[in-house]
Amino acid sequence: MGVLLPVGTRKGLFLLRSDGGSSEWEVEGPLLPGWAVYHATVDPRDSVLYAATNNPFYGATVHKSRDLGQSWERAEEIGLPEESGLKLAAIWHVEPGLAAEPDTLWAGGDPGVLFSSKDAGVTWEVNRGLLEHPTRERWQPGAGGMCCHSIQLLDGTMYVGISAAGSFRSEDRGESWTPINKDVAAEFLPEKYPEVGQCVHKLLVHPKRPERLWQQNHCGVYRSDDRGDNWERLDGNGLPSGFGFALALDPDDSDVAYVIPEESQEYHYTSEGRLGVYRTGNAGASWELTANGLPDRAWAAILREGLAYDDGGIYFGTQSGSVWRAPRGGGQWTEAARDLPPILSVEAASV
Amino acid sequence: MLLPATLAAEAGGRKRFELEAGTVGDALRQLPVAGLLFDEAGELRRLINVYVNGVDARGGRLLDEPLTGDSEVRIVGAVAGGEGNTLADASLWL
Repeated sequence: MGVLLPVGTRKGLFLLRSDGGSSEWEVEGPLLPGWAVYHATVDPRDSVLYAATNNPFYGATVHKSRDLGQSWERAEEIGLPEESGLKLAAIWHVEPGLAAEPDTLWAGGDPGVLFSSKDAGVTWEVNRGLLEHPTRERWQPGAGGMCCHSIQLLDGTMYVGISAAGSFRSEDRGESWTPINKDVAAEFLPEKYPEVGQCVHKLLVHPKRPERLWQQNHCGVYRSDDRGDNWERLDGNGLPSGFGFALALDPDDSDVAYVIPEESQEYHYTSEGRLGVYRTGNAGASWELTANGLPDRAWAAILREGLAYDDGGIYFGTQSGSVWRAPRGGGQWTEAARDLPPILSVEAASV
Repeated sequence: MLLPATLAAEAGGRKRFELEAGTVGDALRQLPVAGLLFDEAGELRRLINVYVNGVDARGGRLLDEPLTGDSEVRIVGAVAGGEGNTLADASLWL
């Protein structure tokens, strides 16, 4: 069994492949030239490859490939209802549905919208619960737009993260949404701890401990142990900065998380002039630099979709076009590819 | 009708289409990539320019610009991104 990394870039999609040893990588691409691939992922249910594709001239859509990139099908037009007064600006993330719901997928977009597909990505319907959320007038765009980006699916519960609206939880398959932003700061707003308006950059639920959530936020790193009802801020425990975008977990150890701190909201490059990945093994009580093999002079940027993990390792891609990989648990980082276009997303799949 | 490379790829690799249409709008809507040219409100996307026999149709009647049997219509993305375009603006920060 090998590893496939779909790497979304500003200039199309690249596929990195490696056999089990993960030291030699084949690079294929650019696929979907002309499209900025904000996110690409392999559906674990049927190995279909999906890409959230955006073009400044032709708009936002989803492409799918049943043959790992050799041929592509584009979704039928995705858009927002006229009565909303909104227009779709970008598709940011595609999330395959639960194993029990074949042909169902979800997609997050700008402006803070969520879509679902029941026909394997051919047609997409906007989620009214978020589109018409009673707090929407208090949402605002983040620096990259108002994006719904983190879609976490559990049996009976869903979560989304929206910049800058906050995190939301649904317990009725998306019909209604509860803001879950208590104790999460929004230091750029007059009210520092509002109900909504936070700029969550990445939200993840641990796959084996569903009550534990993590988020990398504009204003810090947080962990919740009660499904998002309460959050504990974790930066300042060894992290050089609470600002960043990327977040990854360990699929078997819910106390482990990885972040890649950036200098500040104004500068958007890695902290301390180095490419530094930080790891916690104690649920955020302390963080340690895990950067063996990474350059100690670098001013890189890793976007919210740019850090991934699987059973074998962790992977990230930079806006400078490099993909890095380390074995699970840390250790030596190796550069899997370089000189790609600016990287927008990295995922990992077993093929 | 001549398509740029990205649209041609979405049209099965075909760059040239021979169409019968009375106006620019009629012609564009016949294309298999019409969904990439018009937004959900049915408006021509802001950064898409259309040239009829080398003349920018945005300076004329655009979608209502009449066509004749030997009209050459070319779709071209705007050279400048312009203000207010989400993707172009976002690229400054990402």
